[in-house]
Amino acid sequence: MNLKEFYAISGGDYDGAMARLITEERVKKFVRKFAGDPSYSELIAALDKSDAKAAFLAAHTLKGVCQNLGFDSLYRSSSAITEILRAGSLDVGALPDEIKLHYTTIIDAIGSLE
Amino acid sequence: MDAIKKKILIADDSQLNRELLVDILEGQFDVVEASNGAEAIKIMESDNDLALVLLDINMPVVDGFEVLEEMNRTKRIERTPVIIISAENALTFAERAFNLGVSDYIIRPFDANIVRRRVLNTLMLYAKQKKLLDLMEDEIYERQRNNAMLIGIMSHVVEFRNEESGPHIQHVRIITELLLKALGEVSPQYALSDEEIALIGTASSLHDLGKVSIAPEVLNKPGKLTSEEFEVMKTHSAIGASMLEKMTVYADEPLVKTAYQICRWHHERYDGRGYPDGLCGDDIPMCAQVVALADVYDALTSDRIYKKAFSHEKAIEMIKNGECGSFNPVLIQVLDKVADELRDALSKSYSAYPEDLRRVAAEVLRNKLSSATRV
Repeated sequence: MNLKEFYAISGGDYDGAMARLITEERVKKFVRKFAGDPSYSELIAALDKSDAKAAFLAAHTLKGVCQNLGFDSLYRSSSAITEILRAGSLDVGALPDEIKLHYTTIIDAIGSLE
Repeated sequence: MDAIKKKILIADDSQLNRELLVDILEGQFDVVEASNGAEAIKIMESDNDLALVLLDINMPVVDGFEVLEEMNRTKRIERTPVIIISAENALTFAERAFNLGVSDYIIRPFDANIVRRRVLNTLMLYAKQKKLLDLMEDEIYERQRNNAMLIGIMSHVVEFRNEESGPHIQHVRIITELLLKALGEVSPQYALSDEEIALIGTASSLHDLGKVSIAPEVLNKPGKLTSEEFEVMKTHSAIGASMLEKMTVYADEPLVKTAYQICRWHHERYDGRGYPDGLCGDDIPMCAQVVALADVYDALTSDRIYKKAFSHEKAIEMIKNGECGSFNPVLIQVLDKVADELRDALSKSYSAYPEDLRRVAAEVLRNKLSSATRV
């Protein structure tokens, strides 16, 4: 699939990402790099250990990266969890599942990106 | 822009974010990376060439605010601008960052062109300010040098006729500036800016200007003057003042006005028993009071054609005992306070200290900028 299709499938904002990063080449390069970004697995690991501080930092980073790449759906769920964790709470409800769903959708789609 | 690429430090814990910023900036800049605040501080300690820092706030180990606090402690923030790039869009974060001296605050998601533009703008602003400060410094140095040279020539004319060996005029200037600085500390009502003190110091060099018109037989008489000769000698203060007053073109210049006061009244005494006008107490302008004291101290501690030099301690004692006429009690207090410093300062030869110059330049620039922005 092409980049535009990738964004449609993964719940992202193609036009926003293109406007910010200017070239399709750069957007594609960093979308691919996202597959290697550790903040998602760091977030899950920190939540497993009930480490709110580490989870906050990871969620915050994930949110920032998604924001820049225009991964809107993952941005919204990671942003929501960031605010809960910021307050020191681990009462995150179903947000980790939601994040996982958005994340795997993106990673799967990256696999079929031209 | 310079041919050599400017170096930028990117401090962000996310590698992806750093790579993205590197991708945006590396064509125009050299980029170094730090993955947390501690690394950023370490790089800043060892690298003096950094032109700018792009700083994330939420980082492990040491966060962005702590980096800024450290940069404030070391004053690094004054020469290396910082731009925050953060996903924190709460106003309190931005405000705290600006209070810590950052130049700009970019909220994620950032736009490649805007990041580049803001980096360039900040660098340009810093370069302009530095250039302005350098220009101001050169200008002030040049002005001070020219003034010092012309006044040096003038005062040598006086000294040459006077056959007074030694650097009396230079000494009076050093003592005057020292006393004025300390006076402001002892009594804040008399506090002056560095620039004003420098002006009075310069004007003090002309205190004996009127002596050019005193006959050499009187001026250089080895023994005690007769009362008639002393009356002639005493005219030098009023004559010097009137020479300045007649320079109609420059009469309103602060330097000339100050020099006028100093010339005319540096032989007045606090109790009204001086000359030429018998002014009393605070009717004598403070600049003239200070130069009077400086003049007396240096005359006491120097060899003269009619006397040998007294020691520093003896001179201070004589002045305090009122053996050389009465002085403002506040000035006596100041003299006491700076006595040691005075002895040390006179043993060195005077030159314009570079750090003084930079301070004066910064002060002038600050004043000019604040008057320019006042509406």
